[in-house]
Amino acid sequence: MPVSAASVAAQAAPRAKLAHSIERVYGAGAQVDTLHVDSATVYRISRGGALLGFAQVRNVKGKEQPITYLVATDSSDALRDIDILVYREPYGGEVAYDPWRKQFRGKTAAAPLQLGKDIRNISGATISSNAVTRAVRKTLADLTAWHAAGKLR
Amino acid sequence: MRTLPPVLLAALTLCAFPFTASRAGQAAAQDADEERTTIGGYGEVHYTNATGSDTPGEVNVSRFVVFLAHSFSERIAFRSELEVEDAKIAGGEAGGEVALEQLYLDYTFSPAATLRAGLVLPPIGILNETHEPPTFNGVERPAFDHDVIPSTWRDIGVGMVGSIPGSSGLNYRVFLLNGLVAEGFSAEEGIRGGRQEGREASFANPSLTGRLEWARPGLRIGGSFWYGGSSAADPALGDGTFDNAVALVSADARYDVGPFMFRGVVANVSISDVEEINSAFAEAVGSRIAGGYVEGAYNLLAALSPASTQRLNAFIRHERYNTQAGVPDGVTRDDALARRITTLGLSYKPVYNVVFKGDYQLRRNRAGVGEDEQLALGVGYQF
Repeated sequence: MPVSAASVAAQAAPRAKLAHSIERVYGAGAQVDTLHVDSATVYRISRGGALLGFAQVRNVKGKEQPITYLVATDSSDALRDIDILVYREPYGGEVAYDPWRKQFRGKTAAAPLQLGKDIRNISGATISSNAVTRAVRKTLADLTAWHAAGKLR
Repeated sequence: MRTLPPVLLAALTLCAFPFTASRAGQAAAQDADEERTTIGGYGEVHYTNATGSDTPGEVNVSRFVVFLAHSFSERIAFRSELEVEDAKIAGGEAGGEVALEQLYLDYTFSPAATLRAGLVLPPIGILNETHEPPTFNGVERPAFDHDVIPSTWRDIGVGMVGSIPGSSGLNYRVFLLNGLVAEGFSAEEGIRGGRQEGREASFANPSLTGRLEWARPGLRIGGSFWYGGSSAADPALGDGTFDNAVALVSADARYDVGPFMFRGVVANVSISDVEEINSAFAEAVGSRIAGGYVEGAYNLLAALSPASTQRLNAFIRHERYNTQAGVPDGVTRDDALARRITTLGLSYKPVYNVVFKGDYQLRRNRAGVGEDEQLALGVGYQF
């Protein structure tokens, strides 16, 4: 079944990027259901009835403009990937590149997820790498807590 | 900036309430692309005390900078920086400065190409583009970034900025800007006095400047250049576009691994026909200005308190440069201008954007004349 157009239509601005991102992370033909948890929007991704994971789109302030990012987890609350959906500033865009993002894959909410520890920063782009790292840590913590509390059915 | 009458604002809010409550999460991403004004800034206050009985300690509000930006749409943004140096300007007194550091419009066609026009920072070295207090160690900016690469260097023109597509980690900036003015060059400070800083600047010597950078997690390497004349149509020098050309090349690197941070910069500035400049303005400007520095830092808290997100960076930097690395015939080198400066210190960052700094600097030169040491303390922030 293709990614449901109705379920991603509700998400604002980067719809095409969001759909493309989910397909890249979870594979083609995944089912995406939109859940509302504590006034936030979370996507539940499954295939053939089996849970693949959860994803959420959030914004974090970079140097001056917001950075729109996606956090995607698997069924055991480990990060499958993160994605930068929209980067609006002229500097620091290296956070969108695979060599930096791949450091997040496989980490759980128990990991430090800190620059200088388990995540290398991007010299000269420390504001964006700092902002995204902190934001991913918070988002992953929320997704893990919601899942454990049974709010993501 | 627009404001609505309070009653109208309240009425609109009440009408919107049923919609906003359930869509707060979605609104976050949607609002991200609307017109937005941002205000930010950075600043620093210094205490310096050089050795010697005739140099008592001094405190100064070194900089207060306001950053004001507005995005008109997804593609078009305006950015500016206004700076106050040394706290105030009083009529009739020397010192202090109020100046625009940047003012430009960005038109983004794609991540690979943004058109930029206005008062911009030449993309040379590390510090000229990135000089907020929490981004460098040491209370005062390195002397190399004053005398060799004259930070904060800003000129008016137009150019392109972008990341080379394909996730290569390469990005570039290239600009055509107004040139330097040779009348301001000096033996001690090289080309620094030749900057026009955006005020009624002569465009007699359009100059090309650019930078290519390569970045991977933990590493950033860059190379920059500047090329342009400096005669400014002065009859004593010449009215050719490339007369008294200044050619600058530089290379720099930043490498961060675990609790260690390293950086280094080198630059070489060549001035053509500098004899003409020296005879026209009774100066002793070098034909070549060159030097660089290396710096290493270690976050002590990684060993003392590994769980902490704060930083206590211990650093050491060695600068070596000469504003008379090359001199034309008729100029005798002043060996006091061959500087060697070693700075050791600490930078404490309780949060990323705030820093408390202290350093001890040993200022030496090849002539052994006028050498001293300086203790400095400082507080800085950015947001």
